[in-house]
Amino acid sequence: MLRYQEDNELHRDFHGTTNTTLNYLADNFGVDALKGILRTTGREVYKSIREKLAAGNASELLEHLNWFYFREGAKYQLTVQPDEIRLEVFECPAIRHLKKLGLEPSRHFCLQTSEVNLGICEGTPWQTETTILGDGHCLQIFRRNGGKK
Amino acid sequence: MIPSDHFVRFYNEVFKFLDAKNALPKYYQEISRHQELHCYKLFMEKGLKGMEEYWAHIRLEENCDTASCIKDGVRYSLTNRCPSLSKVLDNDAAPCEKYCLHCPGWVMPLMTKCGFYYVSYIVAKDVPKCRSFETESLEKADQIVADLLAQGADRALIFSNIEDSKTVEANKEKRRELRKEK
Repeated sequence: MLRYQEDNELHRDFHGTTNTTLNYLADNFGVDALKGILRTTGREVYKSIREKLAAGNASELLEHLNWFYFREGAKYQLTVQPDEIRLEVFECPAIRHLKKLGLEPSRHFCLQTSEVNLGICEGTPWQTETTILGDGHCLQIFRRNGGKK
Repeated sequence: MIPSDHFVRFYNEVFKFLDAKNALPKYYQEISRHQELHCYKLFMEKGLKGMEEYWAHIRLEENCDTASCIKDGVRYSLTNRCPSLSKVLDNDAAPCEKYCLHCPGWVMPLMTKCGFYYVSYIVAKDVPKCRSFETESLEKADQIVADLLAQGADRALIFSNIEDSKTVEANKEKRRELRKEK
């Protein structure tokens, strides 16, 4: 069960505010500070997912990835094995919306994915890595320690 | 991707970080500049009606429980349940005590730039209710503040650009000139 399960209207312009905020934080406080805030967001806001992962239960992570990428209208593929979750996003809905607004995606934009995911996995038996495969195209992997690479 | 549904919980973490560095006001200015993308032309060209148009869209997309109207040259907005603070309170991470201040923080510079007086009353920082008012009239803005105080509002929770009236008046004139040109 999801801790946060919004199902009403979406305000996609928040992706624009995120973009501005990522640039602002990196420019004024450095990329490490930005990463720290994103990591904290992953760890604290998604505490429920993290605690379940720590207890060996990936159900909320799966629901979270599936629900919010679906809800934002992403083109994606979720592949699940006992020790590995792969989310390939073919067209990032956040980047798509930035383009609609006429905004240039921050060069730090994808840190919101990689660092939040790292925060979610912190202190759990799960590792995560995000690989950017192209414009709006990424692969997010969550792998349980000891799982096959 | 931070889902747009969860942006405000990220925002809350940003506020906590910036507040610890006494750096919130400068960030609000940056957000205000960003919001010009959505609001500036609308407010400059349509005034209070443009504000109604913008916040009607926000009310729908952000699922706000807000009532608003324009009467006698004042736009009134009464938020009974702010979805933004509500989410921040419904959160496994602790809320930033100054969370609500971001609203006047970005709206006020924009209103000043567009030549409008703005009064915001945050009923309490941990209660998702607030009131805001926009008008071209300094006299009416003064009266709104006086009325709020007479009703027992906490002065520390009232925010306005009345003190910046010289700039507001100058920008009001600029806006009127631009409208005449069109």
